[in-house]
Amino acid sequence: MKRLSIFLIVIMLITGMTLGGVAEEKKVVTYWHTMGDAEEEALIKVIEMFEDQYPNIKIKPTRMAYDDFKPALLIGIAGGVVPDTARLDIIWVPEFAEIRALVALDEEMEGFDEIIANTYPGPTSTNFWKGHYYGLPQDTNTQVLVWNKQMFEEADLSGPPETIDEFVKYAAVFSNPDEEIYGYTMGGTYFWAPASIFYAMGGEVTDSEITTATGYINGEKSVAAYQVLVDMYRDESLSPLLLGGGGIGAFEGLATGKYAMIIEGPWAHPILKSDYPEFEVNFALVPRGPDVTTSSVVGGENVAIFEGSQNKDEAMLWAKFLLSEESQLTMGEAGSMPTLSTVQGNERLPEYYDVFMEQLKTAKARVPHPKWAEMDNAINNAFQYMLRDEKTVQQALDDAAEEINRLIIEE
Amino acid sequence: MKVKNKILDKSFLKKILSSKGAYLLLLPGMGLFFTFILFPLIYSLRMSFYKWNIVNIGASKFVGFSNYVRVINDPIFIRATLNTIVYTLITVPGQILFALVVAILLNQKIKGRTFFRVAYYIPVITSWVVVTFLFEYFFGSQAGLVNFILKDMLHLVDKKIMWLTDPILVMIPLILLGIWKGVGWSAIILLAALQNIPPDLYEAATIDGAGIWHKITKITLPLIRPTLVFLVVVLVIGGFNVYVSGLLMTKGGNPLDLSHFILTLMYKKTFTNLDFGYGSAISYLLAAFIFMVSVIEIKLLRRKVEY
Amino acid sequence: MLTTKEERIFRNISYILLICGVVITLVPFIYMISASFKSQIYTFEYPPRLIPRDPTLENYIKALGKDLFGRNLLNSFFVATATTISTVFISSLMAYAFSRMQFPGKEVFFYILLLGMMIPPVMLIIPQFIIAKNLHLLDSLWGLIVVYVSVTLSMQTFLLRSFFETIPRELEEAVLVDGGTRWDIFRKIILPLSKPGLAVVAIFTFLYAWNEFPWAHVAIREGSRRTLPVALALFQSQYLTQWGLLFAATTVASIPVIIVFVIFQRYFIQGVVTSGLK
Repeated sequence: MKRLSIFLIVIMLITGMTLGGVAEEKKVVTYWHTMGDAEEEALIKVIEMFEDQYPNIKIKPTRMAYDDFKPALLIGIAGGVVPDTARLDIIWVPEFAEIRALVALDEEMEGFDEIIANTYPGPTSTNFWKGHYYGLPQDTNTQVLVWNKQMFEEADLSGPPETIDEFVKYAAVFSNPDEEIYGYTMGGTYFWAPASIFYAMGGEVTDSEITTATGYINGEKSVAAYQVLVDMYRDESLSPLLLGGGGIGAFEGLATGKYAMIIEGPWAHPILKSDYPEFEVNFALVPRGPDVTTSSVVGGENVAIFEGSQNKDEAMLWAKFLLSEESQLTMGEAGSMPTLSTVQGNERLPEYYDVFMEQLKTAKARVPHPKWAEMDNAINNAFQYMLRDEKTVQQALDDAAEEINRLIIEE
Repeated sequence: MKVKNKILDKSFLKKILSSKGAYLLLLPGMGLFFTFILFPLIYSLRMSFYKWNIVNIGASKFVGFSNYVRVINDPIFIRATLNTIVYTLITVPGQILFALVVAILLNQKIKGRTFFRVAYYIPVITSWVVVTFLFEYFFGSQAGLVNFILKDMLHLVDKKIMWLTDPILVMIPLILLGIWKGVGWSAIILLAALQNIPPDLYEAATIDGAGIWHKITKITLPLIRPTLVFLVVVLVIGGFNVYVSGLLMTKGGNPLDLSHFILTLMYKKTFTNLDFGYGSAISYLLAAFIFMVSVIEIKLLRRKVEY
Repeated sequence: MLTTKEERIFRNISYILLICGVVITLVPFIYMISASFKSQIYTFEYPPRLIPRDPTLENYIKALGKDLFGRNLLNSFFVATATTISTVFISSLMAYAFSRMQFPGKEVFFYILLLGMMIPPVMLIIPQFIIAKNLHLLDSLWGLIVVYVSVTLSMQTFLLRSFFETIPRELEEAVLVDGGTRWDIFRKIILPLSKPGLAVVAIFTFLYAWNEFPWAHVAIREGSRRTLPVALALFQSQYLTQWGLLFAATTVASIPVIIVFVIFQRYFIQGVVTSGLK
């Protein structure tokens, strides 16, 4: 027994030492991200291309768990251990910029202006805060209507709804709550979920200068947008999934005939294809509201450089490379939509991108403000109150406006 | 005055010197503890008195007790505290009771003993993420097993219950999850404690004509008292620290921040709203509360064991 | 404990109760294993089926085949084992001092230690990170071990101390009377009699180190040095959780902990105290 323990301890010590790791000679640029499997594979190709072009720089990517990414970044910042670069959710850029964690690229990066001359304005604007740009738009996305053709055909409907009125009517046709079948479903009440319909009906959260929410989030069009959704919920054509409750997820429901329509982003295609290979994925533009052309919400990620980085010059080369045509196309093939307008329509990109690119022309970004998370919370709560019949749509949004105004001033 | 005299007193110094054996034993553990628990604790305390700036710590603004005042006045915090207390009050006795039963049952020479022990231990080793999801799935309003049983099998209800979207009902799966996951842990500890009871005592009691109930209450329970004390203290601490299950199942206090636990609220304030000082204040209030409760528990429940 | 007839009845009832309990206890776990053998399409079928329609190993192949999974498993094993050995050692020293020795400041030290048990770990992450960075313990498995031991020390010491308390002091006095030293007491009385307690400490420390996530995620960023929980978390990406893979990987990850448990639970043998008394 004793000899066995000694043996085990020695083995462990040896293993421990070899698992320790060795230091590198070249300049290393760290890059944190939360990419999925397909994107990660493409990233490796992009890194190879970069290292070929810049042989004395090595890129070290680290994949982080999505749910814990922001805390990990914050803890790192607090401890002075930051990555050189990271792919951040566009929403986080103003937040991190506000706490001075990011480098102002318009000042520090050579050739910055040339680059953003070629990127879509919507995604680019999400990097802007208090007069400076704190990141480059790496990839973008928006949400469009995804519909179950089979269910439509069985219901004698020729195609997807083009206006909101049709949308409401069609959804009602499918609804059969006893069988758990609904015309439309949303994943939750956080703003991102209803955002597409919200913007499609002409809703706004604040004015463009972000000075007030009064008259915007509780303005006529915003109220009308939420009213449509609340009515659909009461009608039982919108599934109760959005309240939470561990129901059948959007993708599974769509693919298995429980939901006729969902609104999702480009990731829907690879996800549906890999998990439900028999399902035919059909995209369509978001139905347009009264006197508006179709619209939707902008999402995506930006690449930013951290103030604590020791290798800023090399980091900038890497960030710029991510915006090169080759990189954008490679990542584009894996499901990361490019922000570079010069590659639009390129045949290497998947065909289904076309709908999204079309939608992007009219899609709107959410409010680029460091307190967005709390504003989102206020709007989320408003939606909950409405659905639970504790406040009318107008009341709930009035309260949300007050809260948002408070957050704007607090800043 | 008294303290100063005490330190200078020769016999006190002598006491310290003669205790050097004890101090030596404590050294490695205390060293680690001071470095990684005590210092961070003090650092955290300091954070709670500031509007903390993590990028440029020097630029943090001193705000005195205002974080604490804000916390105590926050209705969301009060609701979160209520939820946490209810959770603890039900899960602790639940766990100990079931664990005691299981431990007594498992303490016999029955066939497949190892299998049973392993089986009861499995909830303990499975990660919170996975089991929370499983419970979410079972209590889900659309495809959930619980609703299926209640509605379609037993016909006890005629509409599906929205467990997870109601701020009060959601406590039920959370509490059940807490008990389910903890029973095995306590059962193991109690099982180990049961080993220390000499079988002769039971034999003597049998000869005296005592029944099972008598043996359990007069022999078993008193002799495992220190362990029971330990369990109560630790489980209450665990109850107040409930976190991952709440975070995942309520998705941050859904709906309307009504189903928060103290720690899920702290997490939201710290990492979502970047209010580090506020988050720290919440943690400290929680820690202080737990400390007080634990001290009271230990003093109340602790007594020497007599044979 | 009972008369033979009473014993039999009690034992039979016990069986029934235990089996009912086991079913309830294991249902979620069984479901998880069953789902791990289903292709993703069937993970959420309603009504839920226990036996998979077309059982498949694809989840296991994909999950285990993932880059670095084996390496991460090894890392976790190393960290958990080292943490367990160190903790058992250090906490038994401390527990003995608290239980059997008198010294100035005993109560103070004890309550401070208790404090460590009551602190939500989430609260300490930021300062711990800063300290670890300054001590060069980041991105290293040894660093992980050091922090893990520190964090779990309070609980394990408290646990052991309460076990030591149940050992009758008469036994120790007997040794002293026979001319033994404190070390003899430790070796011949305390250690053997607290085998169950030590076994519990070993099991729980191993479990803690094996499953720990928040600290591991932040402290180690180098892929090849990551531990298992972090690898498991990566089955969840932003838009999708690959539940089939996660279930398969979790099932595999649970095996070492079960083995550790099976090994150590042997020490819950009755009669150890009896032989000590005689």
